[in-house]
Amino acid sequence: MPPPPAQPARPPRAAAAQADASTLLTARGLGLRRGDRWLFRELDITVPRGAFVAVVGPSGVGKSSFLACLAGLLEPTEGTVSFHTPDGAAVPPCDYRRQTGVVFQNNLLVPNSSLLVNVCCGRLGELPWWRSFFGFPQEQRTAAYAILHDLGLGHLAHRWSCETSGGEQQRTAIARALHQAPDVYLADEPVSNLDAYLTGRVLGIFRQEASVRRRTVFCVLHNAELVERFADLVLSFDPSGSGQWHLRTNHAR
Amino acid sequence: MSPPPSATSPGQPPAPSPLDARSPAPTPPVPELRWHQRLNVMTVSLIVFAIAVVASTPALRGSGRQLDYVGNVQRFLGYFFPPDFSVWRETLRALGETAQIAVMATAFAIVIAIPLGIAGARTLSPGWMVGCARMTLNGIRTVPSLIWALIGVAIVGANPLAGVIGLTFYSVGYLGKFFSDAFESVDIEVARGLRAIGAGRIQAFHHGVWPHAKPLVWSYVLWMIEYNLRSAAIIGYVGAGGLGVQLAGYQEYYEWEKFATVLIFILGLVTLLDLLGEWVRGRITRKLNRRGRV
Repeated sequence: MPPPPAQPARPPRAAAAQADASTLLTARGLGLRRGDRWLFRELDITVPRGAFVAVVGPSGVGKSSFLACLAGLLEPTEGTVSFHTPDGAAVPPCDYRRQTGVVFQNNLLVPNSSLLVNVCCGRLGELPWWRSFFGFPQEQRTAAYAILHDLGLGHLAHRWSCETSGGEQQRTAIARALHQAPDVYLADEPVSNLDAYLTGRVLGIFRQEASVRRRTVFCVLHNAELVERFADLVLSFDPSGSGQWHLRTNHAR
Repeated sequence: MSPPPSATSPGQPPAPSPLDARSPAPTPPVPELRWHQRLNVMTVSLIVFAIAVVASTPALRGSGRQLDYVGNVQRFLGYFFPPDFSVWRETLRALGETAQIAVMATAFAIVIAIPLGIAGARTLSPGWMVGCARMTLNGIRTVPSLIWALIGVAIVGANPLAGVIGLTFYSVGYLGKFFSDAFESVDIEVARGLRAIGAGRIQAFHHGVWPHAKPLVWSYVLWMIEYNLRSAAIIGYVGAGGLGVQLAGYQEYYEWEKFATVLIFILGLVTLLDLLGEWVRGRITRKLNRRGRV
C-alpha cells in the first residue's frame, strides 16, 4: 500500500532558517511490525530544530514504539533514523543518547533515590563515571534544584521518589529531561498525571524549549485542544494495522 | 432509556446475572482441573520429599547395639558442669580474636564478591560470564569452611591470618551468590532508561541498580558477619586462630568445664549478634516494604 506523500515537514517558524543546518532528524522508510500488523511503515519525515511535534493516535497504535525507535531503544523492522549534529554529521540514535531527553511513559525514576538525585541523573552523560561516583557537582545540584523548585517540587527534593505521588514522579521525570538540556525531547504522555494548570505549565515549558532554545520536542498527546495549542507539526498514526501515517502542519497555532 | 426486555417468561425468577440481563443463560458449572493439571513445582517437590523421608530411614539404624543412650547423654553433659569460669580472661581474648577474624574476612569478601555478584547477575552480564561466575561461586561453596581454613593454615601457618584467608574464600562463595540474586531482583528498566539518556554502564549501575540493591546487599552482609563469627569459633580446630583453638585444646585434655565456659561465651556472642542483626535487618526491610516495592 503506498504511503501518503511526505508533507513539507517544516513549521512556519523554521522556514527562514537554512534548510540543512536546521534539520535535526530524518527518518527514511521507517517501519515497525508487530506480528502481522504494521504500526507504521515507509515513514519518511524530516524534522527541523525547534519544532514541537505532537504524536497522536488511539491507544496501542505505536506512538510509544515510534518514540522508542527515535531513542534507539527499539530496532525498527525496516528503515533508518538519523540525527544531524550541528557540524553536519548524521549519527544513529544510539550515538545520540546524550542529546536525547526521554520522558518515559512509566517515568523510570530510581525508586529509592531522592528526587534531586533523580533529576541530577539527567546529566550523567556529561560526567565521567568517577566524577558522579561520590555525588554530583554542586552547580549541577543547584541547577537541578532550580528546575524542581520551578515545577513546584522544591519541598520534596530529598524525598525518595517512591514516596511521592504519581504526578510528582511525572514532574520529576520531566525535570530530569529538562536538566539534561538535550537537543531533542521524546516525551511519552508527559502530562497524563497532571492537572490542567500543570499540564499548561509543562507543555508551555516544552513549547519554550522549542521556540526559544531551538530544541525539538516529540510529545505524545491525547488531548486535541492541547495539540492545537502547542504543536507545530502533528504526526498521527492509523490504527488499521496497514502502517499508514499522516503528518500535518498545525495552522491553528 | 428503558431497561432491555427480559427473555424469561413472567413466571420464572429473574435473570441470575445482573451484569448481563440481556442473555440470562444458566451459569455453567465451575470448571474443575484434572489431577495432573493441579501438579506444580510445589506439590511435586513435596511428594518427592515425602518419598525421600521414607527412603532415608536406614540413617536411623545407629550401631545396632543396645546402648544406654539416656545414660550417655547424662554422663557427657555432666562433664560440663559446673563451668570453670577461671579461664574467662583467655576466653575473652580469644573471643576478640574470633571477632577480628570474622570482620576482616567479611570485609575482604565484600570487596571480592561485588564484582563476582555483578558478573553472576543474569540481568547485568552476558551469558558466558554468568555461567563462569556462578560455577566459580558454586565451586567455592562446595568446600566447607573448615577445609578452607585448613588450606589457609597450609599457606600461612597456624595463626589468625589463616582463619581470615579461609573464611574470606568461604564468604565469597555465599556473598557472591546473594549479591547476584540481589542485583537480579532489581528492575533493570530503570538502568536501561538511564542508558537511554546518555549514562555509561558504570553510571547506570551505580545510579540505576545500586540504590535499589543496597539495602538487600547490606542485610546479606550483616547476616554474613553473624555467620562468620560462628564459623570463626570453629575453624580454630584446625589451628586457624580464635576460640576454636581453645576449644580444641580443652577437648584434647578433657577439660570439659572450661570447654563449657567457652561455649557459654560463644552462645552469648551469637545471641547478641542475632538480636542486633535481626533488629537492623528488620529496620531495613521495613523501609523497603513501606515504600511499596514493585
